[in-house]
Amino acid sequence: MNKSLIVSALALTLLSGTALAETADKRIALSNNYAGNSWRQAMLQSWDTVTKPAVEAGIVAAADAFTTAENQATEQAAQIQNLILQGYDAIVLNAASPTALNGAVKEACDAGIIVVSFDGIVTEPCAWRIAVDFKGMGKSEIEYLKDALPDGGKLLEIRGLAGVFVDDEISAGIHEGVAENPQFEIVGSVHGDWAQDVAQKAVAGILPSLPQDIVGVVTQGGDGYGAAQAFAAAGRPTPIIIMGNREDELAWWKEQKDASGYETMSVSIAPGVSTLAFWVAQQILDGKDVPKDLIVPFLRIDQDTLEANLETTPSGGVANVEYSQEDAIKVIEGE
Amino acid sequence: MAAIKAMLAKPWIWSFVAAAGVWMVTILFTAGASTLGLTQAALTFAAFSIIVGLGQMFVITLGPGNVDLSIPSTMTLAGTVALKLMDTNNGLIAVGILVTLAVGVTVGIGNYTLIKLLRIPPIIATLSSSFIIQSTAIWYNRGIRIKPPRVLAEFTTASTLGIPNVAWLALAISIVAWVLLERGIYGRWVSAIGQNMRAARLAGVPVDGVRVATYVLCAVLAALAGFLLSCFSGGAALNMGAEYLLTSIAVVVIGGTAVAGGFANVPGIWGASLFLFLVVSMLNTYGASAGVRLFLTGVIIIAVIIAASRRLGEGSSTS
Repeated sequence: MNKSLIVSALALTLLSGTALAETADKRIALSNNYAGNSWRQAMLQSWDTVTKPAVEAGIVAAADAFTTAENQATEQAAQIQNLILQGYDAIVLNAASPTALNGAVKEACDAGIIVVSFDGIVTEPCAWRIAVDFKGMGKSEIEYLKDALPDGGKLLEIRGLAGVFVDDEISAGIHEGVAENPQFEIVGSVHGDWAQDVAQKAVAGILPSLPQDIVGVVTQGGDGYGAAQAFAAAGRPTPIIIMGNREDELAWWKEQKDASGYETMSVSIAPGVSTLAFWVAQQILDGKDVPKDLIVPFLRIDQDTLEANLETTPSGGVANVEYSQEDAIKVIEGE
Repeated sequence: MAAIKAMLAKPWIWSFVAAAGVWMVTILFTAGASTLGLTQAALTFAAFSIIVGLGQMFVITLGPGNVDLSIPSTMTLAGTVALKLMDTNNGLIAVGILVTLAVGVTVGIGNYTLIKLLRIPPIIATLSSSFIIQSTAIWYNRGIRIKPPRVLAEFTTASTLGIPNVAWLALAISIVAWVLLERGIYGRWVSAIGQNMRAARLAGVPVDGVRVATYVLCAVLAALAGFLLSCFSGGAALNMGAEYLLTSIAVVVIGGTAVAGGFANVPGIWGASLFLFLVVSMLNTYGASAGVRLFLTGVIIIAVIIAASRRLGEGSSTS
């Protein structure tokens, strides 16, 4: 108790100090709940790419990444407690649950540690949140389809992992878009768990029961390629399938575009959002006044930017943007 | 009448009854228009569950506590390593298949080494080895999705005589498994160990040899399923095996194999695999929300298991 008081007092003095405060002796940890897909792998790689030079340049003393094995909130809570004991100055957090980690996050705050959550954010008020406008992302899919298909038509929705709030948000955005554009109708909905093989299986199962005139497939990312394969296997014409920035999806889109002029768009969050969170944490440690809720823009690829993005996306990876300190300052200042 | 009674006494019949019922309800939605498409999709996707389910069935039959939790990670590792080695080259398909089998044999021997030498319960041993295997897959290719060689991609997605090729493969493997189980000494040994390991040992059954062979068989089948799945779905992904952990156990249980070990049956794996795919398709077709779908899936599975186990009990008391 005494120790945490001293630490928080110290942190307070540091925070209230001038903006010139140095972060050279500060240590930042990344607490990550899952690493088993290409998006998370790219996220960890971006973290490495950006933080290593930052550590070498002496901007911060350390930027270590930790990932839990089982994607469990209890396990991640224990991990955060370890990070507190190890004396990190800031924890950048991609959380397994928006609420279940609040206790551990509060402990970290009480120990004077800056907690910046991103992607999987936490609701604990003492933490910062770098959130994605998932609802807006879902809605943007319908807005694209509205222009591409002025007559509207029947849509198939592929959702993510049931019970995860990201899935609810994107889906809510999609349904809001459909409500505003009654020329569209969602005639089927399956859960693809953001995984290509699961999406393929689910779509293959519902497709025989769906009408022939499906004009579009609205997705959440990671599932577009599987949907395309299920349509091909069923011998159906390929509708407009919204993609999710995965390399396999973009490569498939490029193939179709070259072969038949196929048009669609692709939208997702850049895994490099971890590096934005890193710089935000650094800025907070540096004494900047940072609002608790920040919004990160999503990364959208269109017909004319497809080639450029495909070129920079590693095979099997996800289209990505890594953020710089200047980008972070811009986001903080709300530009 | 007696024939029907004898059929109803079979523990596996209920998984087929359930699969057929769900199939009928699903095609009713489109008044029969979806019959062919749905049947082909069901056979295709059931094939992967059947292959991993057969391996899990032999392991579970070894007796209480025997279960292989490393199936998903073995699928992922075999798929990623084989596809990366073949590198879309049709000439390297044989190498890819050999590597797949090697991954399976290595994982199986590794699992049994943990169980036997370190005396770790199978459920813990295979869980911990799954972390090692999954990490190896991540380390080996960082999520790279390499396309399968064209010949393999075409083979796994095509049909012969109207039946998907992967279903033919699953059928061939099932026949071998059925012969091993019902006609071969190996099947008798597995069942004997599952019924009473001590008695089996005293009766001269080579218990360790049979157990290691079973864990290797299960891992090889998982590796093969991973290989086929990654060819079928256009590339290996790090999370591709995830859903087969529970599926592999569920098809064994729904198929009428005794969870406590000692009694296995192959046909039930087919009924259960078809059923599991069809029940999700049915609920999707009727637009059930995720909550309702998971709830109903659970209720239906429990109902099938109760029906199967009650009939099994009656059958054995009257005979």
